[in-house]
Amino acid sequence: MKGARLLFIDDETGLLDLYETAFSREGYQVCRAATLEEARRLLEAGNIDLVVLDIRLAEESGLALLHEIKGRTPGLPVVLSTAYARYQDDFSSWLADAYVVKSSDLTELKRTVRACLEPRR
Amino acid sequence: MRYPGRCPRRGGRRSGGAVRSVASAQLVAAVRRITQVLERVLDPETAGWATLVGLTAGQGLGFNRAFILRVQGERLEGWLGVGPRTREEGAALWHELRENGVNPISTLERPDPAVVAAEQRRLAPLLRALSCPLDETSSRWHRPLVARRGHPLAAVRRWLAQLGSHSLAVIPVIGAGELWGVVLADNFITHRPILPAVLEAASTLVQALRTAVERIKLLQRLSEEERRRISAEHAAAMLETARTLAHDLKNPLTVAGGLASEVAAVVGEQGGEFSPQLAAIVDAIRHAEARLAELVAGLASRATGTPLSAVDVTATVERVLSTFRPLAARRGIRFEVENQLAGELAAAVPSYLERCIENLVGNAIEALERAQVGDGCVRLALSADRTTVRVDVADNGPPLPPTMQTDPFSGGVTTREGGGGLGLASVRRLTDAMEGRVEYDESMAGWVRFSIFLRRWV
Repeated sequence: MKGARLLFIDDETGLLDLYETAFSREGYQVCRAATLEEARRLLEAGNIDLVVLDIRLAEESGLALLHEIKGRTPGLPVVLSTAYARYQDDFSSWLADAYVVKSSDLTELKRTVRACLEPRR
Repeated sequence: MRYPGRCPRRGGRRSGGAVRSVASAQLVAAVRRITQVLERVLDPETAGWATLVGLTAGQGLGFNRAFILRVQGERLEGWLGVGPRTREEGAALWHELRENGVNPISTLERPDPAVVAAEQRRLAPLLRALSCPLDETSSRWHRPLVARRGHPLAAVRRWLAQLGSHSLAVIPVIGAGELWGVVLADNFITHRPILPAVLEAASTLVQALRTAVERIKLLQRLSEEERRRISAEHAAAMLETARTLAHDLKNPLTVAGGLASEVAAVVGEQGGEFSPQLAAIVDAIRHAEARLAELVAGLASRATGTPLSAVDVTATVERVLSTFRPLAARRGIRFEVENQLAGELAAAVPSYLERCIENLVGNAIEALERAQVGDGCVRLALSADRTTVRVDVADNGPPLPPTMQTDPFSGGVTTREGGGGLGLASVRRLTDAMEGRVEYDESMAGWVRFSIFLRRWV
């Protein structure tokens, strides 16, 4: 779904740069937030089609925001992204639509984002 | 200063009821004092030593010498002793005591480890000679007795002969209805009769020893559990730290690799020549990411428990010994293996068990070489019972120095010049990881022994 607005939430600005470069080139509109506060502001402003959320943020757990998003806008797809797969065993992460282990190879993340946006057509 | 047992009182004989009651009061006071010490000591050797000193000191029960034999499997093995081996030795030692004004009772709780070690080295051959198999009659020993020549029990006759005693106090140590050991005491120099009151007092002391040993074992077990708990918490904290580090390392790797991929893709899309260097960078970063993931997974498995498998201990021991044989032969050290395993397997991690045995055998060889033991021997004994597989690694070198005896596995203490003492600490960490344990003892007179206990694989 080219042109969809994606919100990437990660406290690593280098990663946000990477996501912006890679997904803009794919034709998406990229929004970025390095903190949960920033993310909430962007979410309240609306027009976000999908969220890519890092679980382990500097100050707070991304899982808290996942619960908030699914409470307020259950239809908004959320892709969890984290360094290692151990959070897949945490039932709080099961609310997410997909779960991706971070990698310099963005193929899987791109495929997942595409798949999550499909039903909204 | 050696501690040789009772120094005979000088002066004339005393007799009569008043004297007997003074003697009884002294006995009671001595027993009370020694049992109070036994209630406080924190290691079995000190408890055994305190009991023997109490039995032999002039201000104690006044035996010329005394010995403790402990039940080890199907045998009674000499454990500790105090006192002279011969009349001449007794005369020399008692003279030395008198000259130096030593009162052994005053150091019961904190004996000089060097004195204890020297006494045990001196008595090691006699303790070995007193060791004997348990026979069926042993199960009937419940009461202390004064044995004389012609005693019906073969073991008792053997002790009388070995000690050259005319009259020997034999005090069984009973715990939970079972024989735990035997204490022997005699007056082979002074020939003082062993009166019923003295035998009764000795028996009280010996039972206090048994209680003390049980209490110490319980405390050690509790502290071992506490140590394991702390170790598990430490491992979990380490894992968390490692995950944080790995996370912080992974993010920049992901960024670098991802951007390199993007650049490569853009160059490709624009019809430019794809840079092989860029591809190499992308590959290297992906490889580094994979290694990091493996590292974290490895740490996680160590923190959450390593899978155990059925391990053939005999083959493992043979593998280790074959590695060490050339070295041992050059140093004139021989290996003895007593293998009682009949196909039983241990629940272990093969590489961990191999490293444990390597460390223990290597330490034994070093100890023998350092002490320049003439007939150096490393003896391995493999055995199993219904639930446990046991590997003993013993050597006939000198005992561990006192600084190591309290907890030789704690790390940081070593007998080797330049050594960090991490070999034994590593053995404990590895046996812990295999849900087993390692113990150290010098209960076999003249031998230093480390024992690994692992769960039997069913």
